[in-house]
Amino acid sequence: MASLSEEVLLVVKKVRQRKQDGTLYLMAERIAWGPEGKDRFTVSHPYSDIRCQKISPDGKAKVQLQLVLHTGESTTFHFANESTALKDREAAKELLQQLLPKFKKKANKELEEKNRMLQEDPVLFQLYKDLVVSQVISAEEFWANRLGGLNNSEPAPYSNKQEVGISGAFLADIRPQTDGCNGLRYNLTTDIIESIFRTYPAVKQKYSENVPHSLTEKEFWTRFFQSHYFHRDRINTGTQDIFSECAKQDEKGLMSLVNKGVKNPLVDLLSLEDKTLDEGYGIKQALPSTSNTNKTVKESSNAAIIKRFNHHSAMVLAAGSRKNEVTADQASETSSTDGNSRDSDFFQPPVKKVKLQEAIEYEDLQRESKQKTVALNLKKSDRYAHGPVPLQSQKYTTSQDIINAVNCIQHEMAHYKPNLTQVREKNNNTFLPSTEMVPSDIQGELKHLYVAAGELLRHFWSCFPVNTSFLEDKLTGHLEEMLQTAYSKFHIWQTRRMMRKT
Amino acid sequence: MKLNIEGLLVYFPYDYIYPEQYSYMLELKRTLDAKGHGVLEMPSGTGKTISLLSLIVAYQKAFPLDVTKLIYCSRTVPEIEKVVEELRKLMEFYAKETGEVNNFLALALSSRKNLCIHPEVSSLRFGKEVDGKCHSLTASYIRAQRHSNPDQPVCRFYEEFDAVGRQVPLPAGIYNLDDLKDFGRRKGWCPYYLARYSILHANIVVYSYHYLLDPKIADLVSKELAKKSVVVFDEAHNIDNVCIDSMSVNITRRTLDRCQSNVETLQHTIQKIKDTDAAKLREEYRRLVEGLKEANVARETDVYLANPVLPDEILQEAVPGSIRTAEHFLGFLRRFLEYLKSRLRVHHVVQESAPQFLKDIFEKVCIDRKPLRFCAERLQSLLRTLEIADIADFSAVTLISNFATLVSTYSLGFTIIIEPFDDRTPTIANPVLHFSCMDPSIAIKPVFQRFQSVVITSGTLSPLDIYPKILDFRPVTMASFTMTLARTCLCPLIVGRGNDQVALSSKFETREDFAVIRNYGNLLLEMSAIVPDGIVAFFTSYVYMENIVASWYEQGILENIQRNKLIFIETQDAAETSMALEKYQEACENGRGAILLSVARGKVSEGIDFVHHFGRAVIMFGVPYVYTQSRILKARLEYLRDQFQIRENDFLTFDAMRHAAQCVGRAIRGKTDYGLMIFADKRYARADKRGKLPRWIQEHISDGSLNLTVDETVQLSKHFLRQMAQPFRQVKPPDRRRVSLRVTSPRLLSLCRRTSWVCLC
Repeated sequence: MASLSEEVLLVVKKVRQRKQDGTLYLMAERIAWGPEGKDRFTVSHPYSDIRCQKISPDGKAKVQLQLVLHTGESTTFHFANESTALKDREAAKELLQQLLPKFKKKANKELEEKNRMLQEDPVLFQLYKDLVVSQVISAEEFWANRLGGLNNSEPAPYSNKQEVGISGAFLADIRPQTDGCNGLRYNLTTDIIESIFRTYPAVKQKYSENVPHSLTEKEFWTRFFQSHYFHRDRINTGTQDIFSECAKQDEKGLMSLVNKGVKNPLVDLLSLEDKTLDEGYGIKQALPSTSNTNKTVKESSNAAIIKRFNHHSAMVLAAGSRKNEVTADQASETSSTDGNSRDSDFFQPPVKKVKLQEAIEYEDLQRESKQKTVALNLKKSDRYAHGPVPLQSQKYTTSQDIINAVNCIQHEMAHYKPNLTQVREKNNNTFLPSTEMVPSDIQGELKHLYVAAGELLRHFWSCFPVNTSFLEDKLTGHLEEMLQTAYSKFHIWQTRRMMRKT
Repeated sequence: MKLNIEGLLVYFPYDYIYPEQYSYMLELKRTLDAKGHGVLEMPSGTGKTISLLSLIVAYQKAFPLDVTKLIYCSRTVPEIEKVVEELRKLMEFYAKETGEVNNFLALALSSRKNLCIHPEVSSLRFGKEVDGKCHSLTASYIRAQRHSNPDQPVCRFYEEFDAVGRQVPLPAGIYNLDDLKDFGRRKGWCPYYLARYSILHANIVVYSYHYLLDPKIADLVSKELAKKSVVVFDEAHNIDNVCIDSMSVNITRRTLDRCQSNVETLQHTIQKIKDTDAAKLREEYRRLVEGLKEANVARETDVYLANPVLPDEILQEAVPGSIRTAEHFLGFLRRFLEYLKSRLRVHHVVQESAPQFLKDIFEKVCIDRKPLRFCAERLQSLLRTLEIADIADFSAVTLISNFATLVSTYSLGFTIIIEPFDDRTPTIANPVLHFSCMDPSIAIKPVFQRFQSVVITSGTLSPLDIYPKILDFRPVTMASFTMTLARTCLCPLIVGRGNDQVALSSKFETREDFAVIRNYGNLLLEMSAIVPDGIVAFFTSYVYMENIVASWYEQGILENIQRNKLIFIETQDAAETSMALEKYQEACENGRGAILLSVARGKVSEGIDFVHHFGRAVIMFGVPYVYTQSRILKARLEYLRDQFQIRENDFLTFDAMRHAAQCVGRAIRGKTDYGLMIFADKRYARADKRGKLPRWIQEHISDGSLNLTVDETVQLSKHFLRQMAQPFRQVKPPDRRRVSLRVTSPRLLSLCRRTSWVCLC
């Protein structure tokens, strides 16, 4: 049994599935269930396939746990051991809760990415069907070549979809409605939740910690709207509130933003003044709010609102441009590590200089003949100067060869006769099928074959230069086979067509 | 292009010139010719700085003996750097046109914080720390100690500069702060002292106001600058406040406590020195008998407080006998301290003049006027004798002795106010002694006396005649220039009513009025929906802004605004505000659009420009009057009335309007720029307020836009924005640069003014 080699983390007996008693196993990488007395698993899901787990409400007679898969299917386990059913389920749920996120992140991201790519690009999807489904090449190989762009810093042409920002007022869109009996109703949509999570990562963290483990989703959001955190004007008085921590985290985030300082020296208020007056000089009165003790509650609540607004706006802004930032960071990292960063710095005047120059420019006083040019931004200047250098030595053609070749061609040309009489009649459509004469389905088929062959050739060429043994294997081993397969496929198609024709 | 300004050949580094720049140069030339002072107002964004530099440099080249130096004072570090960059552009143009090698030396000077290259010292964050640390490495006795003790750390950059830097003058060129640092690093010289030394022979010096106006620093840095210099105060609309600030002192109980401990430390040190090195004290005594002047041989690195009092005759005298020995002086300080403490124990507000204070102190503790006058000098000498390394610790005692010197020197122009508590928190005892200067002319007087031409200029100096009055000088030229525009790119609107006809005003009585706040909110909301990119809104004070933001939040107005734009708010913390500002610009940059809520008189309103899309509209909520209940202000108003015949209301309105003009002027920084200026207070419509706005704004306020409702404002704004959003095409004349055209007749000039620029070659 395959599962024996795996580490079994939890075994729960007396678990029913489809009205059949059995045992539930939680292993390192999958969850499995086997009917009682049998030696095999009838249900087995790798964790990475599971989207989420759901549990039955506490009051229900049946204690159940439902697993929802990415495919949309779901499996329900009924914990039937009367005395310990609840406890069993808790144990299973808790373990799952720990395990799922680990797999989720990795698997999901990739899976989603692949799914998205296939959905967005019908040609790719067809190619996938032609090559992978018909098992010309394996799925991994197919993706290895495609997803490469994702992991590299330069985005693949497929993933440059612009990210949608967040509305600044998403919190305002949650209008509370009175439900008639002294309560409030908040309507949340997935968009709003997504916005909240993106803007306030602290809340997202709380959510994944607490839901559905200690709170249901509904409870979580109820608490959120009751919290001091949501109502920014209320001062946090240190009550036991799961969101009080969030507020602190936000504060920390804001502080770190503030401490990071600003890049543009023209807006840096700290270094604006050249020489500040020493303490004790000047007529400006010391502000009463410098000491916290004589701050009134109202004043500090006002200050809290202001702080929150600044933070909120900064976060919304950051959420909109987060992706760019990451890539920019990466780029700067790579450029600083490759030792070549100096020259890109050299060509780019520092921010300060640029800003100063911008500030003193009077474009309408200048003659317009000057064309604005964009500075060439070179990450590696030597690459620009030399161009790609072949890794392998090539056989150079000598000039004598070239002369011979030219002579040869000239000779051939001189003796060329067009043989115009042998040109076929215009309406003979068996030769060189013009597009309008070929039915579209055949055209489509041919196109698919062509694209598939092209893809294979791409694989083929991407193996060069052959500098690893893996590539060599790939080349000599199955790639050749694949090309063969593709060719035979084409051949089959051709013969089939010919057959149909006759 | 080359210009002929009344016979002076001026090189101007652009191909075209605005007519107002030409007139500005004319006025400036007349000022220099007359060797007098001038007040010139020209809108921001019309190239004030470059016209000024072009003319003065040309003047310097033409009459090298009449004007030897240009001292250009600006307010903020970025401004200083901008000026130097413009100068660099000008000099490059000179070099290109004339083919001569530039022989001008121009440099910027800033505090150590911006110039230090010592790896440890420059990593400190605050200016004061940098100064203190630098001092502890470069003071003369520290360096003297090094001879006996080689382990004593010193600054190698200063040592290197001291050894060789003085012999070779800084080569001619334009040195911005970064250039100085580069040069310093290359040579291994301290850029700060190099710059301070080089300003003596530089042709152009650019630094901040304080180096000339704050007597404590001016005495150290700018003392030996040549008399035949031209001094320019740019952005001078607040110059009176700078003057006043530099001469005023506040003393709290905490100051006195710290001072007490300072005195104790001094006592200990004196005791120690007496045991080990009594000769040193005797030597000091001898020096004090001989007079202070000799004692104060130029030791530039000893940055003990320089005497805040400028009259030189005091320095010629010997220090009075009663404070000549160190112990006696300490006893004297103790008595003075005790007296101040007793004064702070009051239960009601006391206001008195300097002579009254002196009389009282003589009666109570028998302290005479004369030793008080020498207090600052005497302390300086003592600190130097005792070889105190970290003078930052002794800031309290220097403050007190400074106060002593000031109070005994000036009988007029100062007032002493002792408040037992803050008016807003009457239950908490927090006594403060304000020694406040009421007469800005005291600090600036030496500047006017010493230098042959002083030019005060800014984008907003209206009404012009008030500055000569409050600064007490007689200008030879006073001129206000307007902005010639190819298209009306500014649109001042006065919103007096809400849609419900409620009068909008920030005046005290209606300040808390719900309806006014709601209407203000509506205005901002409506504007946020129609104005592209950035909107800046200014409030009259920080407290007012906090209250309004809170009630807008309660009313849900802010949430609605957030649907259109992101909101950023200035806070009292400068670092936080900087962050908010940068994010604001980022939001304008990426097209999301943002609103910045800010405060008039705050740092943002004074130092940050909102060019182009960073500020398409400025909304001024209310009239930014200063807090009128303050006793210091009342005393100052009284003084202005008695001494200069300026009515209180006139001054208050003038002050409010110059700040309002500063705020709204932030949005227009050039002729290609455009922006709305919305004055949201019905009081702006009155002639006395409107008349105090700069001419270039006033001109564009039509009678129809004096008392608008919010809806009307939105309509007018929409129209304006739609017009301005059209691509701005200039119909430039064919290249006429070779055609020699000199505009001489005023009629022709006024004709030219109607177009945006004119070619004068």
